[in-house]
Amino acid sequence: MTTAAPAVHGPTRIPGVLGALTSTDHKRIGLNLGLLSLVFFLVGGLFALLMRAQIAQPDVQFVSDQTYSQLFTMHGSTMIYLFVTPMALAMALYLVPLQIGAVSLAGPRLALIGFWIWLSGGLVMQSGWLTGDGAGRDGWFAYEPLANGTNTPGVGQDMWVIGVMLAALGMTAMAACVAATIARRRAPGMALLRMPVFTWTALVSVLMVVASFPVLILAMSLMYIDRHGGHIFSGFNGAIDYQDLFWFFGHPVVYVMFFPYLGAAAEVVAVCSHKRWFGHTAFVASIMAFAALSMSVWAHHMFTTGGVTNQYFAFTSTALVVPAGIEYFDMVGTMVGGSIVLRTSMLFALMFFIQFLIGGLSGIFLASPVLDYHVEDSYVVIAHFHYTLFAGSVFGFFAGVYHWFPKVTGAHLRDSWGRIHLVLLAVGTNLTFFPMFFLGQDGMPRRISRYPAHPGWGTLNLLESIGAGIIALGVLSFLVNVVVSLRRRQPAGDDPWQGHTLEWATSSPPPAYNFELPLPPIRSYAPLLDRRHEQLDRAGASP
Amino acid sequence: MRGGALPLFAWGALLLVLLALNWIWTGDAIQVGSFAFAALVIIAGGALLALRSREALRGGPPRVSRTRESVPQTSFAAVLVGLSVGAILFGLTFGRFIVYFGAGMLVISLGRLALELRAERASRRGTQDGPQDTGGSARAGEGRPG
Amino acid sequence: MVQVGLLAPPGALVDTRHEYDHLFSIYVPIAVAVFALVVLAIGFAVLRYSRRAPSQAARWHEHNRLEGGYALALALVVVFLLYLTFSAEHRVDTVAAHERPALTVDVTGAKWEWQFYYPAYGITARSGTVGRQPLVVPVGEAIRFNVSTIDVIHAFWIPQLRYKRDLIPGTTESATLLFDRAGSFPGQCAEFCGLRHADMVFTVRAVNPAQFAAWARAGGKGVPS
Repeated sequence: MTTAAPAVHGPTRIPGVLGALTSTDHKRIGLNLGLLSLVFFLVGGLFALLMRAQIAQPDVQFVSDQTYSQLFTMHGSTMIYLFVTPMALAMALYLVPLQIGAVSLAGPRLALIGFWIWLSGGLVMQSGWLTGDGAGRDGWFAYEPLANGTNTPGVGQDMWVIGVMLAALGMTAMAACVAATIARRRAPGMALLRMPVFTWTALVSVLMVVASFPVLILAMSLMYIDRHGGHIFSGFNGAIDYQDLFWFFGHPVVYVMFFPYLGAAAEVVAVCSHKRWFGHTAFVASIMAFAALSMSVWAHHMFTTGGVTNQYFAFTSTALVVPAGIEYFDMVGTMVGGSIVLRTSMLFALMFFIQFLIGGLSGIFLASPVLDYHVEDSYVVIAHFHYTLFAGSVFGFFAGVYHWFPKVTGAHLRDSWGRIHLVLLAVGTNLTFFPMFFLGQDGMPRRISRYPAHPGWGTLNLLESIGAGIIALGVLSFLVNVVVSLRRRQPAGDDPWQGHTLEWATSSPPPAYNFELPLPPIRSYAPLLDRRHEQLDRAGASP
Repeated sequence: MRGGALPLFAWGALLLVLLALNWIWTGDAIQVGSFAFAALVIIAGGALLALRSREALRGGPPRVSRTRESVPQTSFAAVLVGLSVGAILFGLTFGRFIVYFGAGMLVISLGRLALELRAERASRRGTQDGPQDTGGSARAGEGRPG
Repeated sequence: MVQVGLLAPPGALVDTRHEYDHLFSIYVPIAVAVFALVVLAIGFAVLRYSRRAPSQAARWHEHNRLEGGYALALALVVVFLLYLTFSAEHRVDTVAAHERPALTVDVTGAKWEWQFYYPAYGITARSGTVGRQPLVVPVGEAIRFNVSTIDVIHAFWIPQLRYKRDLIPGTTESATLLFDRAGSFPGQCAEFCGLRHADMVFTVRAVNPAQFAAWARAGGKGVPS
């Protein structure tokens, strides 16, 4: 047992890396989580490039079949468990307390514990590469019985199971902290319906994490036991039961990977239109419907199994059209009548809505069992979920980065590099993922490491591989932008965009306990815009 | 509903409707079970937010604390707890000795965490007579892990 | 049997390719129109409302009745799509299952090969890592495929028919399919099943019923051209 009680009135901060890694400040935890997620994004992107190199042309062998299966498994797992989901949580951890006028997280230590558990999970999962039989190789959803001890022996797959379990556990803890913070730390006046759009999307996401990730942890625990002689899923209907458990997590999580980015893009559109987000109440209501439906659509991943009631899941999945349509209506409604400035962040936000639309519309096709019977597990599905999960997160994420970078660092990102970044990313995304619709329709299944030279397949795959390279260049230009902007800083000031929400009412970067100046009165979800309007009115009344 | 928790209850209610439909339409025990768990969590979350939203309703401009929380903004104990949990599970695949090592570390770090929390509570009692501050920082120490 | 399909002539055998193409041909224009509408709306807003002074920005921010009406319109679209989908699904899943098949083939998946067994003729064809014997079928007749697996999950996919079915351990699922034209069509395992998943392929050889009968009489020897 340790001897001395921790210093209470001593120095509240430890300088340097050690201090940064042990900090309970929500901004520090959010930044750490975000930076590490970004590292995992680069790692997962590298896996994707290697895959695209293997399948750029028919009948070539650049990597072995074994390696290829590890690449697609680790690409999906890294992106989902270690980049898009934690990045959404990172944005929530950083921004939510600021947006609701809180000085700190509720349960900051739990968030810190969660961060380190998540990081252990990421490291365990990736260290599978160092084992004799390599990293996990059964895909990011690791169906039983393929993933049991007989069909996939080896410690690498075990490490994948443990890694997923840890990552999910850590993210659940962090999500619980965000939810508790919203419950307990709102500034006076910040009624729930006065919370900004981003905070609402974050709240819905973290509640969905808390409600669905435990099911994943359960599924992974059962899989671990199964792999070590437990025979959990080898009984009657075991394969379907595993899929039910997995997708009960697996579908809500795709909305966790979407809502906060939607919230970020919405904030950007509102601020860059100099007009508050249109239809806030309807938006909140539609997000609720969105969330409820998204937790009840999971078995549309299982239409072709014959083991689920397809009509129910076709009904819930198609019904998603209604809330999704409302989001687009509100986005256009925000811009109409506004004063639009096409900043880099705004361009990314608009691209987010356009690109996600392709994913969303193709999703309506997949919600129909008859259409799904053909395209399930084909490249159509790959195209669909990269338009939603990749375009529908990364464009919103970058919109948020260009928007909040000045708040987080006090310096602007370069617009010139930002435009290059946008063009490369948009061109690369569409070149990579759009041809996949044709390939899948034409019968190319996902996860094959080689394919025969069917007419057109070589050309389309080559285009996609070139597109992947362009995406990589886009990401590179973003990294260059960050380095250039931090090296030769262009100071941004506290509120460079005439923001609407409370994070713009403090210094950039915010101080240790977030707010040193008194907060403005909170009478709506855009308190700073209210204040600006009052000043305008007063100036107009007494010229 | 006061405080605007209504949307959250609407979410919970819609989940219950969908749960009922799922029950009738599919009748699958695993589906209904996991669905019921999730609906319960969402409804509990909504209730928590509704109960906790009275303070924010008082309205008026929020005041900002003049007194800083006197709690250290770092926690080695929390980092160690996280790493111990990671070590224990990693040990399952890598070697039993890491499980024991992680378990030992977990006990020590949990003890340390308890000390931190006790000190924090003590310091909060010390500053209770201080000036009125925001709804947040007045209860800032309450955050408990676990 | 209730006839639900919109265009299918009553009594005709269910053709999965036709059902897919029909549904697809309704969904695609809707999707393209919605996409164009949204992009046009964004483009209009950007062109019309940029380069105005921020003080000129409107302050209205809500129109719940308009949104309610819009949501209702969307709900009607959902109902329309679900009607189409449920009709097609009813034919593909239920009506087809009640058809009297002219031929039954037991399809067994294994790592990494397909085994096609014709119980009426005692013929077995195998394809995948073990070789490339074709799945020979007659054109224009309902064929019942009973699919099962001896190890992991596979999926029996014939892109030409716009249809696939998963092979789930412990169960036998069936699908009744129809080939509407003669020819050679590729088929493949669509669910990742391990190392040589990419090699788990087969070829369907659809021939006219007379040729099929001759082939079956010969005990599956020789591939009809």
